[in-house]
Amino acid sequence: MLWLNLLLNGIVWGCALGMVAVSFSLIFATTRFFHVAHAAVYGLGGYITWSALKHGLPEWAALVVGVAVCAAVGAAIQKLLYERLDRSGATHLVILIASLGLSAVMQNGVAAIYTSNILQFGLPWGNRTTTIGGALLTNTQLLTVVFGLASYAGAMWFAHRTVLGKRMRAVASNPFLAEITRLQPRQVHVAVMAIGSAMVCIPGVLVPLDLGLQPFGGVPILLTATIAVIAGGVGSITGAFLLAVVIAVLQNLSLLIMPGEWSIGITFGIFVIFMLFRPRGLFSS
Amino acid sequence: MLLELSNLAAGYGSKTTISNITLSLEPGQILALLGHNGAGKTTTLKTIMGLLPARAGTVRFDGSAIDRLNVAERVAAGIRLLPEGRGIFADLNVADNIEVVAAQNVGTQNVAGKPITGAAPMFRPHDIYTLFPVLDERRTTRAGSMSGGQQQMLALGLAILGTPRCLLLDEPSIGLAPNLVERLFAQFHSICKTHGVGAILVEQNVAAALTIADRVVIMNNGQIVFDGLPNEARQANVWDYF
Repeated sequence: MLWLNLLLNGIVWGCALGMVAVSFSLIFATTRFFHVAHAAVYGLGGYITWSALKHGLPEWAALVVGVAVCAAVGAAIQKLLYERLDRSGATHLVILIASLGLSAVMQNGVAAIYTSNILQFGLPWGNRTTTIGGALLTNTQLLTVVFGLASYAGAMWFAHRTVLGKRMRAVASNPFLAEITRLQPRQVHVAVMAIGSAMVCIPGVLVPLDLGLQPFGGVPILLTATIAVIAGGVGSITGAFLLAVVIAVLQNLSLLIMPGEWSIGITFGIFVIFMLFRPRGLFSS
Repeated sequence: MLLELSNLAAGYGSKTTISNITLSLEPGQILALLGHNGAGKTTTLKTIMGLLPARAGTVRFDGSAIDRLNVAERVAAGIRLLPEGRGIFADLNVADNIEVVAAQNVGTQNVAGKPITGAAPMFRPHDIYTLFPVLDERRTTRAGSMSGGQQQMLALGLAILGTPRCLLLDEPSIGLAPNLVERLFAQFHSICKTHGVGAILVEQNVAAALTIADRVVIMNNGQIVFDGLPNEARQANVWDYF
């Protein structure tokens, strides 16, 4: 049943990756800023939640604290850094460099406060297992799938059913018209940064429940999520989530036929070829 | 007077594109702003809208200088721009286009940003569907997939949602068949006359613009070279500018 275990692991990992991809997609499609510091916000969410747990808060309350702090940090990054740079006429390349710098500062700050050693949440319930068709899944993995699907459904509902979500899609679709119809794009940018940052806190907690907290753990995850966002079609929530799951499943199933060190390279190679034939992504409008 | 420009100058970078622009607009009046490409028509509209800062001169709306107001404040006061190209959110469906703009423009404010209490919006979403029944039939259609004429009707609908008092239209007839231009301009004329909305219409389609204009202003090299009635414009020796 190795293939089933790999498939289920792929789906679990894909759901975690999907949450990062969807949150990044919301931000990138609306602001057009390549928010590399999203990786640092992902990492920060895990550490804040860990701290809240160590201060005696129950798990759900600690997660709420982590989500709230990430939302505030995301809004602050937009308001105090990106918006100021944008107002001063900085190009998107300059904003990317600033984001890279901020990411380094935040990750090194976390390492300085918490040490760069791996920290464990140490929640025994997370490692209890459930058998599904002969494959074993931990509670953490099941929770990741539940949160992943709920985050996807929530993002779709928000974008297509709420006025703020529609306003966000309108800003992404035609920023100039949004400005002259009083949709106030800069307010929308702050809101979407807060929402995307709150969302990325959830995988920032769930992944380290299994693997432990590392200050620089967000970078490779954001890189893979970015590929899912682009291959899925920039602006498509479904594309970002679906491609994240497909990438993760392919990475896991490739272990059946090749050594582990090859799987990431082969998977990304497939996507490079895919992008050659569909450069605007799978769900481009 | 609804809108007054006095010795207005504006431009991009180190270049001043328009200068000494002086004109006025009354409620319900349609002013056709004509001239060849690069004459400064769009720059004038952008300066009125607050998208470009005035380098000299003043823009007055309802008797008050609005030079310090940002774009959102000018929109709230009732100045609306229908931009060149398709002024729609192409990735949203028709209903969402209208809903999202209506949600931000239902209130009416004066030029000082103070809400005008008791004033009902001039155009709510159902008024737009009544004005343009084809939009009602296409509510769930992605706006970017509609025909050019339907997209322009939606663009005009978005521009007038809420309480418009001064419409700035930048080349609304581009890419439209002549019969569609005639219908669109008839609707636009009716809106202005029925509701007392003043309008500046920038058009390359001079013949169509003259059929609905009350006054004609012609620009060349960033300056006004003619200001008069449509009949005077037809007889004057100004067509070398095109």
